[in-house]
Amino acid sequence: MKGAATDQGRGYRAGELDFLSVAEAVIERQPRVLKNGLPNLAFFRAANANLAQPDDEAQGHGFAQVEFWLTLARELGLTATDGDRLAITDAADEFFAQPLAARRDRLREAFLGARSLNDFALVGDLELPGLRKSGTVDTTTDAPGPEALAAARRRVLEFVLACAGETRVARLCQQVQREAPSFAIDHSDDGSWRRVFYRGIRERGGREEIERDGGWDRVEGAYIRWLVSLPFARLGWVDYDPARDAFEPLTTEDGDPIFEIVVQPNFEVLVLGDRLDAGTLWRLARFARPAMQGRVRRYMLEKKSFTDALGRGLSAGAILELLSSLSRRPLPQNVRFSLEEWSASSERMKIWPDALLVEAEGVDDLAALLPEAARRALGLARIGGGHMAAVAPDAALLRQHVPPRRAILDYSRRLPPAITPQGDLRLHAPAESLHLRARQTLELVARRQGADHWLLDPALTRAAATALGPDELRRRVEEALTRPLEQAHALALRAWSGEFAPAFAGSAEVFLCDSDEQAMLLEQVPEFAAWLDRKLGRGAYLLRHGGAAAVRKLLAGCGVTLRDHTRTDSQGRRP
Amino acid sequence: MKFHLHVGVIEAESEQALNEALTIARCEARVLARLAPNVAVLERGDTQLVIAALRELGLHPKVMQ
Repeated sequence: MKGAATDQGRGYRAGELDFLSVAEAVIERQPRVLKNGLPNLAFFRAANANLAQPDDEAQGHGFAQVEFWLTLARELGLTATDGDRLAITDAADEFFAQPLAARRDRLREAFLGARSLNDFALVGDLELPGLRKSGTVDTTTDAPGPEALAAARRRVLEFVLACAGETRVARLCQQVQREAPSFAIDHSDDGSWRRVFYRGIRERGGREEIERDGGWDRVEGAYIRWLVSLPFARLGWVDYDPARDAFEPLTTEDGDPIFEIVVQPNFEVLVLGDRLDAGTLWRLARFARPAMQGRVRRYMLEKKSFTDALGRGLSAGAILELLSSLSRRPLPQNVRFSLEEWSASSERMKIWPDALLVEAEGVDDLAALLPEAARRALGLARIGGGHMAAVAPDAALLRQHVPPRRAILDYSRRLPPAITPQGDLRLHAPAESLHLRARQTLELVARRQGADHWLLDPALTRAAATALGPDELRRRVEEALTRPLEQAHALALRAWSGEFAPAFAGSAEVFLCDSDEQAMLLEQVPEFAAWLDRKLGRGAYLLRHGGAAAVRKLLAGCGVTLRDHTRTDSQGRRP
Repeated sequence: MKFHLHVGVIEAESEQALNEALTIARCEARVLARLAPNVAVLERGDTQLVIAALRELGLHPKVMQ
């Protein structure tokens, strides 16, 4: 196994490439996070396929390697849930910008202290029924909890590092069983007369829990084998030979990276070499879409990933420089031209999807009002109209740099009402307390009458309601007002917006009767129904034009005389 | 000077380009403020609509993150 550290498939450098592959899969797929906190199955399959030695899904062991690397990424804060999707954080850029040794130390420490990693659930030979993978340990299982696992990892590592030369894993297991049998699970009570089992731990596919007597090698032994073959080998503590099931502590350094890239005219970037550097490849992955092809690391230069990188602060010049420095041959002309053109075209429209906007009011000169240090700390850039914008910073950082007594209007929350009705159609909205939502509402429904005064306008309201819908417009108006509009003005606003259809006021022909029975009998007379426009209420009917005379004539034919006034007393007389 | 936090901001090369982007995303009526002819402020969700609409057409603005 001499010199194995520099072998492409072994040592920390190789393990880190698997870690990189999983992180790249997160970039490429932005997987949806399920209720259990893990990404979907499609992500696991895709990430597993990119590993140097993928897990075999058909064996039913799951994707232990992907889960292992993903947990370490989460422990280091390199990934986080953004909405319902898993995303890479800025900490990942900082992580991969570090030298190899620093990255290795951080990954090792993350593993040794990981609280969210349930090692036993990742051991292929074991099954923990009813226990969530990577979750907290159930109280009805003997599988160690987070603290005990952290101690167990360190204990086994001590044994491993104390081994000199090539050692078989079986021999290591025997040594640990002899010297520290309870390194993970307590065995102090195993020697009693009764049968004791590993609660909640079965062999994969087994129907019963494993018995303690004679089961140490099947449980703790399997765990030690997993530790040596995955975390210890992939994080560069040992060189593990699966064929011989033996390991040797690694003392040699990983050596300098030796690789180059080939940028093809079809915008493919191929990585060639024996010793790849994950830090450099990460920089590629941040502006070119990772697209592994078998064992070949491949990146696609695409407009979207390229402009996203520009939005994160990378410059086209720096990207071209990196590509040129990694490639032996000059970049293809069409690639260079396209990257420059993409950069120029992206500059034509800049979008801050979640911004801090510093608005210059009147003749404000923000450069004079905001100190240079504050502008730099917040990353503020000048935009049109003398205003400034930056990616929304952390609230605490913002508070540090905002001048005293300056309000911060936070649009992730409901903002205070800023418009006061004046008892008629006039509105009072002081400019100093007017936020953009209230300003937008005012401009939708009112005309400016002075610095702080506005007047509700029917035509504007009608146009706004057409664009937004009457309900949405009313919601916005009500949210912006410090107190409700008076009834008549509220009615007017809702009528202008089309929420109420035009009403009628004027003369009409109606039929009125005071007895329900009389009304019921009349409704059944076809000649009466022919003149009926609609029933207005109990005993009240709106007749079509000419209906009054027709109904009067109809009933006169039956000898029924109708009164010629609408109001009656209890005896049917005019009051 | 006012500080507006968690808003979406779009700055285009020209007023016409901004109008076109807003029209494509059907967000003209949802603009909170036009601070300059080529600068629009929107709610964050509406800004995402603009980005998605532009990308759908193969246009890739510089999205500041």
